[in-house]
Amino acid sequence: MKTLGHMINSRFGSHLFDLLSSCRKNFHILSKQPKISVNIGQMDTVEEYQHGGPKQAYFNPYAFNGGTVLAVAGEDFSVVASDTRLSEGFSIFTRDNPKTYNLTSNTVLGCTGFHGDALTLTKVLEARLKMYEHEHHKPMSTKAIAAMLSTILYYKRFFPYYVNNILGGLDEEGKGCVYSFDPVGSYERESFRAGGTASSMLQPLLDNQIGFKNQIGVDQTPLTKEKAIFLVKDVFTSAAERDIYTGDQLIINVITKDGTRTEYFPLRRD
Amino acid sequence: MSIMSYNGAAIMAMRGKDCVAIAADRRFGVQAQTVSMDFQKIFEIGPTLYVGLPGLATDVQTIAQKLKFRTNLYELRENRKMKPKTFLSVVSNLLYERRFGPYFVEPVVAGLDPNTSEPFIASLDLIGCPMITEDFVVSGTCSEQMYGMCESLWEPDMSPDDLFETISQALLNAVDRDAVSGWGAIVHIIEKDKVTTKTLKARMD
Amino acid sequence: MECLIGIKGKDFVIVASDTISARSIVSMKQDHDKMFKLSDKIVMACSGESGDTVQFAEYISKNIQLYKMRNGYELSPRAAANFTRRNLAEYLRSRTPYQVNMLIGGYDETDGPSLFYMDYLAALIEAPFAAHGYGSFFVLSLLDRYYRDDVTQEGAIKLLHQCIDEVQKRFIVNLPTFKVRCINKDGITDLPDLRAGKQ
Repeated sequence: MKTLGHMINSRFGSHLFDLLSSCRKNFHILSKQPKISVNIGQMDTVEEYQHGGPKQAYFNPYAFNGGTVLAVAGEDFSVVASDTRLSEGFSIFTRDNPKTYNLTSNTVLGCTGFHGDALTLTKVLEARLKMYEHEHHKPMSTKAIAAMLSTILYYKRFFPYYVNNILGGLDEEGKGCVYSFDPVGSYERESFRAGGTASSMLQPLLDNQIGFKNQIGVDQTPLTKEKAIFLVKDVFTSAAERDIYTGDQLIINVITKDGTRTEYFPLRRD
Repeated sequence: MSIMSYNGAAIMAMRGKDCVAIAADRRFGVQAQTVSMDFQKIFEIGPTLYVGLPGLATDVQTIAQKLKFRTNLYELRENRKMKPKTFLSVVSNLLYERRFGPYFVEPVVAGLDPNTSEPFIASLDLIGCPMITEDFVVSGTCSEQMYGMCESLWEPDMSPDDLFETISQALLNAVDRDAVSGWGAIVHIIEKDKVTTKTLKARMD
Repeated sequence: MECLIGIKGKDFVIVASDTISARSIVSMKQDHDKMFKLSDKIVMACSGESGDTVQFAEYISKNIQLYKMRNGYELSPRAAANFTRRNLAEYLRSRTPYQVNMLIGGYDETDGPSLFYMDYLAALIEAPFAAHGYGSFFVLSLLDRYYRDDVTQEGAIKLLHQCIDEVQKRFIVNLPTFKVRCINKDGITDLPDLRAGKQ
């Protein structure tokens, strides 16, 4: 007569075995077992060697280096700013790494997230812009750069560039423009946008001070260049107080029809 | 989905000149569904002492009731009003009693000392670690947004009117960038012998 | 899957619940009454884990009746709701929490009608209208649009019918009939079952 154990074994035996062996494998990966010594009677101690099981090595293709970017568009200018801290975890790699990239005379890209991808992406962009210039004998417009950046990002839809992009510049009519992107190329034109680690601290304040949100009966004067620069310094100073990935120095690129002017402003260094 | 953002909440408190303000949103929701727009998250503990309880709504109500019980007992036994700092210890003690199975609330305390009228604001984490500050405290699902707003708008020694405007703008603009808080707001301005309560009109999306 | 709906008017409150009793994907009973009488003027509609609903509702109901016998007067709807909340909150952190969502509708001589919404976590809210379950996603938007605080009993029934129709139309689970009760100064009245479609 078949016992219950036999029946279970015959029906589920193979599965059970798989389950047990996989458990054992996992156990070995989790904890390295020491060599076990077995004492056999009067004989010398014989060392029994155990196979440690397969080991798996992991490679993480991404890192996160923090940083904050901000772009504001005015009537005839754009401001693209970023902090200059490059960090990972609790360590600061450098205090002097701007996250803004001057792409053409009237377009600046702010790029935060994984610094490796930011470098690769901006290198690809520079090459594509150079090719465009050779072919068309003119620099690419901000609008076209935005569209191109979107496709470049989407081409890596399933192994994305781990970056937040914010593009600032002047459009074909000479008006200030800001384009914001997600890591896989979704984008829209806006008049102000913060990106990176302190974006959630900056954005509500910009909504309030530039978008005049939750303010009623206030004359909505158009944003001047001076006010924009003042606000940018102010919000970054605030962000540097609370965000450990934002600080050291602020770089402000002011884009007008005369080109891009760069300004520096000190931030907290702790 | 974090248990702390299951119902959604945003609370902040600010210190002014001889006054303090405490403000909260009014949403009660279950994850993305908004159920009520008049949910109470700030509770009166004494004439010039308030506590704000953001977090899991059931624990908000439980903690509010337990705090009321403990302060009532204190005042009956001692025959005097509780100081904000003492109250902070009461909250801390209540939360720490559940160190390994906590109540999911991160309270904000705001008030004036019953004897000296000294402004006092503080906040705690869910297991009762207290933090007393001299400027402002924030707590809730959009704390980053609130920090950004407060850090820029707050300045020392504001009058009650200025404090009201500042805390209102700080809260409203912060919750507008959060999907699970907002839907109206309430502000209490606490002065020596006057508490002004105002409900704010806000975006209802 | 279950659906509870409550609507409050100036001098009454209506509580409705679907009548399906289901185990897994099978509908076991089509005329299940999910409402419990807490007192002469308080009704509690329950949804959730099937064993828990009855067990918890009866425990609450009997304790409220015991309170009346001991003290000679009834708990007000607000007091009953808070008593229920306290019990549910204490069970929540015990080894045997009750998974029960409920609507409590009641009428008080001084406070008038009141409607309370409470989820299984014991978060208690007073509301002019409320709904539980998947149906709430359809029902709440309708009520947001069409509810008025001066709604008459006939208006509320009509509104409720609209809600039930919407649930029947847009929700894939079949909830064709709803049991309806109205609570006002005269006590609890059973209203005819509402069926989707038939006006």
